Amino acid sequence: MRIKEHPILEFERGKKIQFTFNGNVIVAYEGETIAAALHAAGIWHYNESDVLKRPRGLFCAIGHCSSCLMTVDGVPNTRICVTDAVDGMVIRSENRGDAK
Amino acid sequence: MREDDIIICRCEDVTLGTIRDLIRKGYTTLEEIKRIARCGMGPCQGKTCTPLIAREIAAITGKDIHEIMKQNHRPPFGGVTFEEIVSGRDEE
Amino acid sequence: MIHEYDTAIIGGGPAGICAAIATGKNGLKTLLIEERNFLGGQLIKQTHRFFGSEEEHAGTRGIHISDDLKTELEGMSNIDVMTSTNALGYYEDGILTALYDEKMIKIKPKSMVLATGAFERFLPFENNDLPGIFGAGAVQTLMNIYGIKPADKVLMIGSGNIGLIVSYQLIQAGVRVIGVVEAASKIGGYLVHASKLRRIGVPIMTRHTIKKAIGSDKVEGALLCELDENWQEIEGTQKQVDCDAICLAVGLTPLADILSQMGCETTFIGELGGIVPKRTADLETTKPGVYVAGDLAGIEEASAAMLEGELAGLNAVKFVTGDERVNERIHHLKEELHALRAGPVGEKIRYGLAQLFEDSVITSEKIERHKHDITQLAHTGVPTRENIDEKMPDKQRMTKPYAVIECFQEIPCNPCVISCPFDAIFIPKEDINQSPVVDFEKCTGCMSCISGCPGLAIFVEQHNPEQGKGTVSIPFEMLNRPQKGDVVDLLARDGHPLGTGTVTRVLYGQKQDKTAVITVETDIELVNKVRNIQLQGTDKKGVM
Repeated sequence: MRIKEHPILEFERGKKIQFTFNGNVIVAYEGETIAAALHAAGIWHYNESDVLKRPRGLFCAIGHCSSCLMTVDGVPNTRICVTDAVDGMVIRSENRGDAK
Repeated sequence: MREDDIIICRCEDVTLGTIRDLIRKGYTTLEEIKRIARCGMGPCQGKTCTPLIAREIAAITGKDIHEIMKQNHRPPFGGVTFEEIVSGRDEE
Repeated sequence: MIHEYDTAIIGGGPAGICAAIATGKNGLKTLLIEERNFLGGQLIKQTHRFFGSEEEHAGTRGIHISDDLKTELEGMSNIDVMTSTNALGYYEDGILTALYDEKMIKIKPKSMVLATGAFERFLPFENNDLPGIFGAGAVQTLMNIYGIKPADKVLMIGSGNIGLIVSYQLIQAGVRVIGVVEAASKIGGYLVHASKLRRIGVPIMTRHTIKKAIGSDKVEGALLCELDENWQEIEGTQKQVDCDAICLAVGLTPLADILSQMGCETTFIGELGGIVPKRTADLETTKPGVYVAGDLAGIEEASAAMLEGELAGLNAVKFVTGDERVNERIHHLKEELHALRAGPVGEKIRYGLAQLFEDSVITSEKIERHKHDITQLAHTGVPTRENIDEKMPDKQRMTKPYAVIECFQEIPCNPCVISCPFDAIFIPKEDINQSPVVDFEKCTGCMSCISGCPGLAIFVEQHNPEQGKGTVSIPFEMLNRPQKGDVVDLLARDGHPLGTGTVTRVLYGQKQDKTAVITVETDIELVNKVRNIQLQGTDKKGVM
């Protein structure tokens, strides 16, 4: 959910854009990271972990922890928490085990 | 406490149970544990797990945490594609 | 092509930006590298006003400090800024590689300032990897940068400044914070931040920890327990709470990988956050011409990071140009840093630094000089009657408006002194760590100090004994701001309801800068008890 009213901050949102995540259309605003847009859409569960198949989602949001890696426009292992959403992007969650 | 439900290394899915087992078996350096369990070899390069593993080693073996934390860092920091390396050369 | 620079600065947070401004001003050809696509680091997530003195921008919100610094930076043509750029490694021939614009580029700097910051610690407990468990920084990024509500009901783990500040910011973003859990017996952060939460009704549970996150594919709750003095669980104290997110604010570790790869010697000092570079008081590492600043040099407040950034930058100037004219400023910055760390809250950092350079003026000496006994306050976040009474004027004086400064812990901060147009607030011995005192002869109750206090710890009261009534003026920076004439719920220092009162005045202008000052009229005996108000039906309380 996007914050509409805040006592201190004002949010200037960019142009409305959309991308697909595992085939579903997600609405975002220019300037948002992919992770921010997914979070706003209520998507918290990104994938299953490599070995133990445990559910994983966003954790550090600054590109350090590796929990949010996804395939973005065909590029695997993209850190979606530091990658801005672009109109028309195709994003798929990945289980790194898939590649093996 | 279910040690197998406590994750120490998020990237490589290594649990506290695994780490404690290895330490008790005598693997008491970060390097050894990394080579066996792969923790620290994932995309985050040990940022989250290293301090936690060092603490476990110190707690079980009584070793000085300062000694445990000594480790090598090697470049590159972060993923680089071959294309990016080649583009950099083109610039030269 | 090799990009040559006088200095390369890695990290565009408060320390890195201040370093770049310092080198830029002194004519060095400067490169500032930042991995994100924006500068400002953690500053741009900080909605609260900063502590410290004017020099460290005290009294200004972090977001505005960040804008001011960026403006200063943009004005200098000898500084190149590369955002979205990752420093990749450093090689023996003095070449730094970086990933910039999808190319691996080579940089040859004559000097460097490393200001890579820190990353958040993770905590071992059952299901600690469940979606809905976030680092505190992630929560701040979502809500304060992107304007996205992180969750509905959050459990905060850790009561350091980050845990306390992020909890407050969550409530500002419309999120319910069900409680703050702290394993130690005392609240870790500034007690004024804790008091802000308590008066909203958020419980702070010291000597508690999280055992387990509950939920199958996302967080649905948490299992907590009490700890004994040896940090062990006390049997039979387990308690389940409902929440949809768990926020971890359990400390930071310096991001020292590139530093250590460069061959700068490091050492482990727990008080400074873990592995830290060995460095001089001038922030020079064991590699000549390579300096560190900010959290990488040791985890500390952003105010210290900004001073260190400038200090490192000026030393880089001296290294490259040999210019001795910067010495005076260097000396001044060291004194400022020393003053910031001189009080009781600087004890940990002093102790850490004393291990780093044994012959330094910094001592690990314990400073026990609190005028007030704050033991209880440090456990609960709520001051005692004795604490408050020390800050009150005598009874006769109460018929005219007067300021009550509920700032009991000695922290380095002085915006209240500067904000007072009547010089009625002073800090004993001009020591920034002392807690402020009001001269009630001079105080007119003008309320100028209320909005400027970073801890929101100042209230103005007035008694009207003839009518058995009185007024209290309170800082307010939440949504649902009451208007004049509204009947509001009154809350005590611990968030308990105290009945209702009527809003008689609202100050919300440029001077207040979004921290409204709201005056309510109530019964005389409640005047000194009311510390928060809320529009009826807008309860933000925790639920534990």
